[in-house]
Amino acid sequence: MKHEDEESKTIKSVENAILILEELRGCGQAGVTELSDRIGLSKGTVHHYLATLRKQNFVEKTDGVYQLGLRPLSYGGAARERERVFQIGKDGVDRLARTTDETARLVVERQGYAVTLYQSTHHDRETLPTHLGIQEDLHSTAAGKAMLSVMSDSRIEAILERGLVRHTDNTVVDADALRAEIDEIRSRGIAFDNEEQFDGVRCVAAALATEVDELLGAISVSGPVDRIDDETFYETIPQEIRNVSGVIEINTTYRDWID
Amino acid sequence: MNTNTRLDIGVVGLGTHGLHRAEILREFGQRVYGSDASPEARREFERQVDDDHFETPTALFEQDLDAVVITTPNKFHAPVATEAMERGIDVFIEKPLANTLENAQRIATVADETDRICMVGYQSRFLNVCKILKWYIEQDYFGEIRHVQSAYMRRRGVPGRGSWYTSKEIAGGGALIDIGIHVIDLLLYFLDESRMEDITSVTRSGFGGRESYAYLDMWGEDDDAHMFDVEDSVSAFLEFEGDTTATVEVAWAVNAESTHAYHIRGTDAGARLDITDVLNATADVHQSLRLFEARSGGADHYLDSAVTTNRNDPYKEQIETFIDAVATDEPPSINTVEQALAVQRIVERIYNDN
Repeated sequence: MKHEDEESKTIKSVENAILILEELRGCGQAGVTELSDRIGLSKGTVHHYLATLRKQNFVEKTDGVYQLGLRPLSYGGAARERERVFQIGKDGVDRLARTTDETARLVVERQGYAVTLYQSTHHDRETLPTHLGIQEDLHSTAAGKAMLSVMSDSRIEAILERGLVRHTDNTVVDADALRAEIDEIRSRGIAFDNEEQFDGVRCVAAALATEVDELLGAISVSGPVDRIDDETFYETIPQEIRNVSGVIEINTTYRDWID
Repeated sequence: MNTNTRLDIGVVGLGTHGLHRAEILREFGQRVYGSDASPEARREFERQVDDDHFETPTALFEQDLDAVVITTPNKFHAPVATEAMERGIDVFIEKPLANTLENAQRIATVADETDRICMVGYQSRFLNVCKILKWYIEQDYFGEIRHVQSAYMRRRGVPGRGSWYTSKEIAGGGALIDIGIHVIDLLLYFLDESRMEDITSVTRSGFGGRESYAYLDMWGEDDDAHMFDVEDSVSAFLEFEGDTTATVEVAWAVNAESTHAYHIRGTDAGARLDITDVLNATADVHQSLRLFEARSGGADHYLDSAVTTNRNDPYKEQIETFIDAVATDEPPSINTVEQALAVQRIVERIYNDN
């Protein structure tokens, strides 16, 4: 029988490859030297990794610099197709983007982080610094806080133990303040992020849960402060979100009834 | 009831309406099976009706049923009803027929193709006072009916604000598709399914989102979801073939007296039918019918008559009619899918116009 330690052993080279992909995701484009400096591997090693990744179309090379290839998209696409909440929630998110004229997202929780499963933007104005599949902290995003409000207290504490990273001046980094806010979200059903993840960006969200309070995810609407005034932020968008989250929850409960 | 047959009847959707219909079925000695995706609703069914229940309609349909009563949120009427009929099961669908005209048409098409009984729950037609009024109409007592003034207004009666009843996507609309649909149905019944020529209408939403919603009696519970994207009142003017007209006032909430009444204006006589909801009762209404004439025997005079009849439970009579229809395999002549489809066409038209 295998020992537990053996089971949890990881392979360094796979981790290094992921590290390179993560760097490219963060910076967009980079050359071998830059990547070598950033992740602390020799230029020769980085070059080998990149050549391997390039052969499999995980990265692309243009004019001597590397960027992400499209191969990773196929894994994301396949993983997303499997998610029931995506199938049921997609139309609602499109509707939210349409009615609010801002960016709407469907978010799920994985390993204590908020992962954007679907993003819909109805307008062609400047878009937010988020993209499909982005992984964000729970404590600094509206969707994340909404999802925390549906979790058990022990689950919340386990996540808080990792520490609350500050992203902006407004990020709630005090655990007690966050616990108090989670209680408010529980009674209100709506979570707010008032420039807590990105400066200049406001976001409203509601959690999606089954009748027996099993967390499905969250839907959110975000946009720049100069477009989202207080009335839109605290009243209009929350009502639009409620209209959609209620429908997604009912459609989830009765999913076997829809042909 | 005309039959002593004991049928196997399923109820899909175990909310307040589903449980109520299940109890009636039990009273009539039928074997009842329930289905709801919500564990809480199934528990309540077990507590109140104590029979077999299933999570999905598909599992329910495998019980060799004779018929199924559909009391789900409106959006699910079409998928559940069509699957049942395609499996050879007769259906009774709580009003409205469906959330959209498209879904309503789908149900009607499948009912026709499968030759199943498809009855729709417009219970008001079964009220004794409505049946009596219809009898007088058929006797030509009113002469030619020129106009009907109709209103179904609740002073404060938004059903469980924030529940599926107030979601456009799930319910298909608000006050019009919930209670206004009874008005349209009775108008078509009294006017002998006349063809509508034209309609002018306005829909409004004034009370749904109000924080300060003062009320005495809530229809259903205020729900956590707090959805509200539907109309809570409608005013409409309908013109039928032959220049007969009707006004329709519908409101879930209005600063006026609650009413559900029909003033029939004929060339020879008139009538006032009052079936206003009884406050604090979910399925009880006033049942009053008065007739108005003018005569000249002796001296010119007005003659007002009040109809005295037994109060009756229209929900029970409706279910009884359905059970008889299923047992004898004779489709009912009242509350047919065609009649419900005609009602749904008018509702869709009003929504499209606004």
